[in-house]
Amino acid sequence: MARSITYREAINEALAQEMERDETVIVMGEDNAGGEGAPGDQDAWGGVLGVTKGLYHKFPGRVLDTPISESAFIGAAIGAATAGMRPVAELMFVDFMGVCFDQIYNQAAKFRYMFGGKAVTPVVIRTMYGAGLRAAAQHSQCLYPLFTHIPGLKVVLPATPYDAKGMMTQAIRDDDPVMFFEHKALYDLSGPVPEEGYTLPFGEANVVREGGDVTIVTLGRMVHTSLEAAGQLAADGVQCEVIDLRTTSPLDEDTVLESVEGTGRVVVVDEAHPRCSIATDISALVAQKAFGSLQAPIEMVTAPHTPVPFSNTLEDLYIPDAQRIANAVKTVTGWSR
Amino acid sequence: MGDAIAGIVANPLSGRDIRRLVTQASVFPTAEKANMIQRMLTAFAAVGVHRVLLSTDLGGISAAVFRAAGRRRAQAGPGPDTGWPEVEFLDGRPIRQTAEDTVDAVRRMVTAGARVIVCLGGDGTARVAASAAGDVALLPLSTGTNNVFPVVREATIAGLAAGLVATGAVPAGVAVTRAKLLEARVGDRAETALVDVAVSTERHVAARAVWDPATVTQVFCAFAEPDAVGLSSILGQLSPVARGDPHGVTARIAADAPEQVLAPIAPGLVVPVGVRDVEQMRPGAAYPVDARAGVIAVDGERELTFEPGEHPTVRLRTDGPRCVDVPAVLAASARLGLLRHQLRRVGST
Amino acid sequence: MTDTMERRALTREQLLAAYRQMRTIREFEERVHREFATGEIPGFVHLYAGEEASAVGVCGNLDGRDTIASTHRGHGHCIAKGVDVGEMMAEIYGRQTGSCHGKGGSMHIADLSKGMLGANGIVGGGPPLICGTALAAKLKGTGGVSVAFFGDGGSNQGTTLESMNLACVWNLPALFIAENNGYAESTASSWSVASDNIADRAAGFGMPGIIVDGFDFFAVHEAASEAIARARGGGGPTLIEMKFTRYFGHFEGDQQTYRADEVEHARAELDCLKRFATRVTETGELAQADLDAVDAEVAAAIDQAVDDAKAAPLPTEADLLTDVYVRY
Repeated sequence: MARSITYREAINEALAQEMERDETVIVMGEDNAGGEGAPGDQDAWGGVLGVTKGLYHKFPGRVLDTPISESAFIGAAIGAATAGMRPVAELMFVDFMGVCFDQIYNQAAKFRYMFGGKAVTPVVIRTMYGAGLRAAAQHSQCLYPLFTHIPGLKVVLPATPYDAKGMMTQAIRDDDPVMFFEHKALYDLSGPVPEEGYTLPFGEANVVREGGDVTIVTLGRMVHTSLEAAGQLAADGVQCEVIDLRTTSPLDEDTVLESVEGTGRVVVVDEAHPRCSIATDISALVAQKAFGSLQAPIEMVTAPHTPVPFSNTLEDLYIPDAQRIANAVKTVTGWSR
Repeated sequence: MGDAIAGIVANPLSGRDIRRLVTQASVFPTAEKANMIQRMLTAFAAVGVHRVLLSTDLGGISAAVFRAAGRRRAQAGPGPDTGWPEVEFLDGRPIRQTAEDTVDAVRRMVTAGARVIVCLGGDGTARVAASAAGDVALLPLSTGTNNVFPVVREATIAGLAAGLVATGAVPAGVAVTRAKLLEARVGDRAETALVDVAVSTERHVAARAVWDPATVTQVFCAFAEPDAVGLSSILGQLSPVARGDPHGVTARIAADAPEQVLAPIAPGLVVPVGVRDVEQMRPGAAYPVDARAGVIAVDGERELTFEPGEHPTVRLRTDGPRCVDVPAVLAASARLGLLRHQLRRVGST
Repeated sequence: MTDTMERRALTREQLLAAYRQMRTIREFEERVHREFATGEIPGFVHLYAGEEASAVGVCGNLDGRDTIASTHRGHGHCIAKGVDVGEMMAEIYGRQTGSCHGKGGSMHIADLSKGMLGANGIVGGGPPLICGTALAAKLKGTGGVSVAFFGDGGSNQGTTLESMNLACVWNLPALFIAENNGYAESTASSWSVASDNIADRAAGFGMPGIIVDGFDFFAVHEAASEAIARARGGGGPTLIEMKFTRYFGHFEGDQQTYRADEVEHARAELDCLKRFATRVTETGELAQADLDAVDAEVAAAIDQAVDDAKAAPLPTEADLLTDVYVRY
């Protein structure tokens, strides 16, 4: 069937195929090529972690490096989108959203509504998130809950190479502004990916593991950690259903609720900070719409309410691991009034 | 001499007009104007000028000098010697951020008895200052590269020369020469120019500058130097007239004229200009403006609009401003030993 | 005539159109000022009266290829770029017939079909966006120019400075218009702009920066003409600083205790409409009767716009949830 490529390569391939298919697709960001103005090679980096490598030479004039001016170039991507382009702009680390958030949440997100349906803003903003590389507090956050909160934005978080390619393709073709979250610890993950172009619709979660005892709702890198926990728990006779949300906005409520109706027990696993997170969002959804099915209170497994620490031991304690997920599962399965 | 007073007026708005866009006119930072004033103040003090009147502005020039004067006083401690003259800021009147500010400042300096007035700016600033200076010696000091009339000179040197004129150490006959002047008149409206008057077929004053020779039908020059930039360069190559010559020169401009001159009419702008009917201008005679309607530009800036039936004229006058001749002043200073003194050994008889 | 002269010489029709637009803006704003005081208009309005020459002088050089982005004080730019006055008035009244179907309001009036990327409630929100439309024009080869209007307050916002740099780095067909009306809300620009002249910042980005009398339509039109030609021809961006003043407060309801009497002086001595009328009648380009006719037509059109707006339907509950996304 499909050859195996990495998450990084899958995104690169989606970009290349879409740029081939549609000349209005352009790429911009800091060092998306690299080497601009410098005496050595052009396309020296192809993105700080190499995601956009090769596009600069393959599509001359359509991969634009930028100065370190997020509000200007993210805003420019948004403006260009209103003018018939399909820009894919990179906000290198989502931690940098602070310097350009206005352009995203007050401009791009709101044009269609504020202008009475008369604007179309098909911009994709790719951004890296997540801890695990010892990149410390200002380069390791998740922050997708902040974007999920904003009406007018779509927020998508592929967990696998297959999803990454399909969702990037969908994001580019989508006529709404899309925040495309790439977990930095997943770039080297390999997986089967079809060579041809394909899309994955937004608002459709993926049941990556079926099971009748507990529903684990999760997203991003935590999908893999949850599967690891599920494997351990299976050995103890607990069958977990693992649902990869894939997109937090739009959110596939039905898949979650259907699963909860079957299992009656829910653990939500979210790498983001605990307050006002996807964990709390899903918990509220389940409590409101599947209360009758619940056999136990909802358990949330999240990072602590702290900035991301630097030191190895601390960061490893910060990130939810399979053991903590398993403990949470045992809590809900062992719960009685 | 104790009562030698000098004035300095600086235009904070010079150098920000459309010439920065349509030609490569220089950008001259406000900070540099403030620096020039400070260099001049040091020079004034060195040659015995004890009191300087300084125009005030909202562009940061006088504010910078004010702060610098404060720092000097703080460093010098008690006693009068800060190395600078006493600086009096001409305050107390509303600043309108127009040419009126320059006129006001110069008038106040004249009334207060200034013996020399240094003005920092371009041709426009010099023109405006000259219109108010009367017989007081003027030293127009250039800020920027696109000027013809003002002196292009390091500010310290200009300060020394102006100071020596203010104290009377160098006699006026040597120090100062009277410039020529052009007067353009439309009915009872008149404007003066120190270098050139051009007739433009543009309808409106608008952005003022003149940079397209196709819009010019006539030029009148008080002087036309072969090494000048600007409209006078058209005649500067064809029929040069020195600043000291008693006459001026005028010509008609037409794209199809057989005589074509490659003229640097603005910084970065060297263009062919067609010239005919070159004629000397005698002082006092009224030369008619041919165009039916348009705008008369003085020293490169559109100023006087005229409509059909108004019949503007241009006259060369010999009663322009009295301007400090910096090289002559410092040469005289060398001859007279004004900056020389003998070192006396203490205790010798 | 050279290309330059042809480009800048204004025909009778163009002069009449410019006067009509300036007069429309003035009447629109004066009327909104009066109507707002009755309490019928929801939310905030920020009026442009006094500044007409800037919007009309600049936009008079633009065509269908070009885009502008405006500020919270956007009515003038909207009108100058051809947004329908009736739809604008209805929008200000929050009606379904408004430019944005009542969902945007005064600060968010936009018409992308006319190249008007919107008034903007965020100070400094516009400049990055026009870097984008300018980039699109450059990549598509349309020859279009994009113009960012911002105020003295907006000139200090990081987004504006970043955008100027980016536009110069990418050599975009862009124009930055700093409308320095002397105040950012209640704070004087002579205090908040450290260099005193916003135009002086341009040199730091490697583009020309010039100052223009914002009350003089002809000066604005001429300067903008040159800057736009430069941008279209691939010469890159320019910064033009308009110096003038606004006749009303920052927002309607502002008591303006921070001001002296400059508005009286401006209305009497510097007013752009008065000066325009004086000039064009002096030259004979237009007759007073022509101008009077425009005044009467504009007054009637504004009256009609207000009447229509007051009679128009409000949005319904169904409108609340529509147009968040193209497809969710």
